[in-house]
Amino acid sequence: MKLRRYYPLIPIYLLYLTLFLIGFHVRGLWQPMALLAFYAALGQAFNIFLGMTGYVDFGYVAFLGLGSYGMALAVSSLYRVEWLGGGIIVIGLLLGLAMAALLSTAVGGIALRLRGAYFAIATIGVNEGFKYLVTGARLWGGSEGIIISGDLREAFGVEVANSLATFWADTLLFIIAALAALVTLHYMQSKIGYALTALREDEEAARVMGVNTTKYKIIAFITSAAFAGLIGASGWALKMTYVFPEDVFEITYTVEAIVIVLLGGAGTLLGPLVGGIIYGVLKYWLAVLAPGLQLLILAPIILLIIVALPQGIIGVLKERVRGTALERVIV
Amino acid sequence: MALLKLEGVTKRFGGLTAVDRVSLEIESGEALGIVGPNGSGKTTLYNIISGVYRPEEGRVLFEGRDITGLPPYRRTQLGIGRTFQIPRPFSSATVRENVAIGAMFGTLGGKIGVGEALELADHYLELVGLQALKDKASGSLTPVEKKLMELARALAMKPKLLLLDEAMAGMPPKDIDRLVGLLKRVKEEEGIAIISMVEHIMRAVAGFAERVIVLHQGKKFLEAPTAEALSDPRVVEIYLGRPAEVGDASG
Amino acid sequence: MPLFLKMLAGNLVNGALLGSVYGMMTMGLSFIFGVLRIVNVGHGAFIMVGAYIAFWMFTLFSLPPLISIPLALVVGMALGFIFFYLVIRRLVGAPELTTLLATFAIGILLEELAKFMWGPDYRGFHWEVGRLALPVTTIPMGKIYALIASILIAIALYVWFRKARSGIAIRAVMEDSEGAQVCGVNVEWIYALSFAIGIGLTVLGGTLLTLFIPVGINPYMGGIYTLKAFVIAVLGGLISPWGAFYAGFIFGLIENGFYTIFGAIPGLEPFSMTQFLAFFMLLVILLIKPTGLLGARAR
Repeated sequence: MKLRRYYPLIPIYLLYLTLFLIGFHVRGLWQPMALLAFYAALGQAFNIFLGMTGYVDFGYVAFLGLGSYGMALAVSSLYRVEWLGGGIIVIGLLLGLAMAALLSTAVGGIALRLRGAYFAIATIGVNEGFKYLVTGARLWGGSEGIIISGDLREAFGVEVANSLATFWADTLLFIIAALAALVTLHYMQSKIGYALTALREDEEAARVMGVNTTKYKIIAFITSAAFAGLIGASGWALKMTYVFPEDVFEITYTVEAIVIVLLGGAGTLLGPLVGGIIYGVLKYWLAVLAPGLQLLILAPIILLIIVALPQGIIGVLKERVRGTALERVIV
Repeated sequence: MALLKLEGVTKRFGGLTAVDRVSLEIESGEALGIVGPNGSGKTTLYNIISGVYRPEEGRVLFEGRDITGLPPYRRTQLGIGRTFQIPRPFSSATVRENVAIGAMFGTLGGKIGVGEALELADHYLELVGLQALKDKASGSLTPVEKKLMELARALAMKPKLLLLDEAMAGMPPKDIDRLVGLLKRVKEEEGIAIISMVEHIMRAVAGFAERVIVLHQGKKFLEAPTAEALSDPRVVEIYLGRPAEVGDASG
Repeated sequence: MPLFLKMLAGNLVNGALLGSVYGMMTMGLSFIFGVLRIVNVGHGAFIMVGAYIAFWMFTLFSLPPLISIPLALVVGMALGFIFFYLVIRRLVGAPELTTLLATFAIGILLEELAKFMWGPDYRGFHWEVGRLALPVTTIPMGKIYALIASILIAIALYVWFRKARSGIAIRAVMEDSEGAQVCGVNVEWIYALSFAIGIGLTVLGGTLLTLFIPVGINPYMGGIYTLKAFVIAVLGGLISPWGAFYAGFIFGLIENGFYTIFGAIPGLEPFSMTQFLAFFMLLVILLIKPTGLLGARAR
């Protein structure tokens, strides 16, 4: 096993570890660090699709939403089953992942045969469509959602339930982010990554070169969605202990994911992490300075990045370190 | 059995017939030239062979198998490789990576890994003389270098049939001769069939292709051994409206 | 006549009328895609702008929505020019992703500005102008006016397209931008003009919409209309504004028809389900024929 391949993970894991330790040891900084972890994870997951294929999924948040429902459904149905113990949480995570993966397979299988613009159009509706399906067919509690705080307390006792929501949910986010980085790197160095690069640059030429573009788009799509499911399951459902369709299908998160990936550098490994941290800090800061105005400020920022800095921070950095020793590490 | 066989393919765009009942055959290891002035249907014909277009009439057969309905990537995996008239590099990837992509998804597709593909890329880059540039971003190459990279990439696919689309346009005559020599070697060593398509660079066809097909307004105007075809006054007329020597038209 | 059928007939009539507005509001989208090959993901936000124009003109100056229509067109075109020269023009030749994100961001920007200026509350107004009694239902005259206005505008646009110099130039660019350039057409100006007209039509569509739905006006109302507009556009052939117009009618009929059906099924909430239906239709149409089901010449 060639260890050199994993060098790019070093700065990333170091950063995650640092954030985690800061949050753990410094009073009052756990929540902010958790927020950064959430955004880093979100960016990392979204990057697998947006960054690597160059396709935009405007309905991305639906996968986060389904992930939350997965966790909520698992907990609310199984909390009385004593022998499962902590397994309920694991099942919740897996269910969230599965649900997101399933939706992405369905949507992706249909929509990814289409070329860029048509695909984006198809995804516009995913989010809205799903929200209306849930409320319209009164699925999973309809517009009233699911609340699991009581169920958690009954299953685990007040103390453990609390620590689940306030500590373990966030820790899981760090782990998920680290996992997403690993998978991203693995893809990048394998045939999948090359195929994705080719189709991102020039889809028609890629097809003529023998790349089955639909297959690889679907792989990236499902992977990205699966991670979103995990994030939704832990960072939303488990942490908040409730799920409401109005919240979890909120398009704001797609916008944030886009900003994070673009700002950091679409298609790079380090980019989403950097973007996530910068964005998380920015958001925290804005929440204090100008509450309720975040999106108003974000929108022109996106426009600015698109026009002036399309490769993102890490994208620019990569160009600078080309040919130097750092090249192996800034990926 | 012919490697590639086109049976009466016709392609229409609205009211315009770009390719009109064209039939042709090529065997393994053969070199065929397709010449014709601008608008004669050459690129459309290529697109039909490589699967970018579906013909309204006619069939495309590869190794005896009807591939008329197959998508482009499947044809590549079966062994049809091509270059583009205006090179289409994957700009953010290095030259080496570009060529490796050809290797990874061509006929060797399932059998080689990333590492081997990169080694194969090195081999073909040396063959075309680009090994010094292998780690450069492919978007930053000169047009001629891009054409050479296109060629290396197509060869790395290990095709059975190679479609060259104006592969030597814009190159100085010395380079064209060297490239033709290279193609002859590759043809003999690896048994690849090559179709070279040109508009004026007769040099790319003259010393290299055994036969030539002349296209005019979408129809197959003439098919003959190279020297015959290129000195046929009718062919020259289609192009220029006046007699000319083969040596003249070397771009 | 059995009650269900009566309701259905009534809703269908409503649907056809609404369809004209749907068609109008989608024409801008198809127009922009047809000329510039840009998918305006922020489409709904411009509809929202049109709705607010109608609202404020009525609330502040007692101007009925019909009178606000020309104003909406002007405001829309102004916005179109502004965004074109500020953003879109700099993105010529950029990958699709980039322009998609740009129009998306523009949409978000407009929504947030609206929220900032006018607050997130739902607004509405009431323009009472008589009703028309039909055997199956009574129709507020406002809706009839909307239908007439839509048809007149569509005709005016059609004539302009055919006869006016700019209209012809636009058609040339739609066919072949390089060819048009060689003929002396200032392609960049045509792009700007087309974008402006497309946005203008969209804002106008939003104003027309208030003749039907003069309530529920809020900064985020656009989202569902973006979805519907896409369904209609894809149904009518993404590049054809006229196809969009006809498709709007069809969509209006389908939507209202299903609304009645959903309402009759217990356990389903008809409004939400109809919105879901729109999405479902989108996927189905994209699956079958992405270039649209109604006469579009694919490029």
